[in-house]
Amino acid sequence: MAMSFEWPWQYRFPPFFTLQPNVDTRQKQLAAWCSLVLSFCRLHKQSSMTVMEAQESPLFNNVKLQRSKGHLFLLPDSSLKYLWRKAEGRQQTEGKLPVESIQIVLEELRKKGNLEWLDKSKSSFLIMWRRPEEWGKLIYQWVSRSGQNNSVFTLYELTNGEDTEDEEFHGLDEATLLRALQALQQEHKAEIITVSDGRGVKFF
Amino acid sequence: MHRRGVGAGAIAKKKLAEMSKQLDMFKTNLEEFASKHKQEIRKNPEFRVQFQDMCATIGVDPLASGKGFWSEMLGVGDFYYELGVQIIEVCLALKHRNGGLITLEELHQQVLKGRGKFAQDVSQDDLIRAIKKLKALGTGFGIIPVGGTYLIQSVPAELNMDHTVVLQLAEKNGYVTVSEIKASLKWETERARQVLEHLLKEGLAWLDLQAPGEAHYWLPALFTDLYSQEITAEEAREALP
Repeated sequence: MAMSFEWPWQYRFPPFFTLQPNVDTRQKQLAAWCSLVLSFCRLHKQSSMTVMEAQESPLFNNVKLQRSKGHLFLLPDSSLKYLWRKAEGRQQTEGKLPVESIQIVLEELRKKGNLEWLDKSKSSFLIMWRRPEEWGKLIYQWVSRSGQNNSVFTLYELTNGEDTEDEEFHGLDEATLLRALQALQQEHKAEIITVSDGRGVKFF
Repeated sequence: MHRRGVGAGAIAKKKLAEMSKQLDMFKTNLEEFASKHKQEIRKNPEFRVQFQDMCATIGVDPLASGKGFWSEMLGVGDFYYELGVQIIEVCLALKHRNGGLITLEELHQQVLKGRGKFAQDVSQDDLIRAIKKLKALGTGFGIIPVGGTYLIQSVPAELNMDHTVVLQLAEKNGYVTVSEIKASLKWETERARQVLEHLLKEGLAWLDLQAPGEAHYWLPALFTDLYSQEITAEEAREALP
């Protein structure tokens, strides 16, 4: 379900797939990678991934990467298009971010609070395009707005109930939701409790 | 005693007086012309070029800052001043991406975008003039001729002749390699490497180690990412007139 994901200009820029030696340039590069990972996962509603999956994903592999310069053409319909000639005997090499560099990007995301390793061997991770604290804030705002402080909800109600259909956190995956609620719990704004068939939360 | 007076000296003085009078007349005519065609000058880029060429012939600089006939009467100074500000804005906005180097084409595109539909038309010539003014003000601007166009430098990165000539080489493909430099410029490996290291250090180039053969050094400034689409030779033939 690729839909129309808009790749950023860096994705078509061949050096994007080489970890840059210049420190300032590398900072920009890593920031761009983090941003790309988060938007990609957000669009594809992907909340967790293994490193193996990541390596194979179009996210870190641009199989259509061009290493030749295109030319600007003014087409008969007056549109301006930047075109390449295909199959001119020129090697079309893909852009593939090496796994060591993928690890560096993932570590950046972890430091920013958008990623959490799900196992000790760091083979799979939770990816949250919004940090748990940010989700927590949104949820709590909805609770307060709708005057439902001191109410109890099941986790399911929060993310799949009719009442939250228009909210951004509607459809949020359970792992991220739990972390959001844990963040609220830390602020004494909520308490995660056990309900009849699972878990729930009480808001204060 | 011979009197040279009526000879060379006096003639020279007379000639000078004549020329001076002519120049003054010329200036007056030019001023009349300018005020009559003020609208035209502001609206029409081609007209502006011709007008400025005329001024240059008689040593008048309509962009001289501050007071005076030109800036007050015509507002020509204002026009280029505002354009200068716009140029700086565009360069600042894109600096994080291209390190402070941008092609004249892209700058033109971005400036036009920023001006909107109803603003006065602005030509590449206008941009160059405005940038030259900025340069004169010591803002760190530079103009580097490359492959038939120009690269505009907006950060005071140190670029000497060696760097500039490599930039010119890179314009063709958007990237350059050590081999290419050695072949085209007949340099030693070390000299080529030093220039490329400098470009990396200034944030003007990015390193590509996945390119076939050897490392490629790409310049984001030369990487046009407009509307892009891959087409076959067949499609190209069909699409183009």
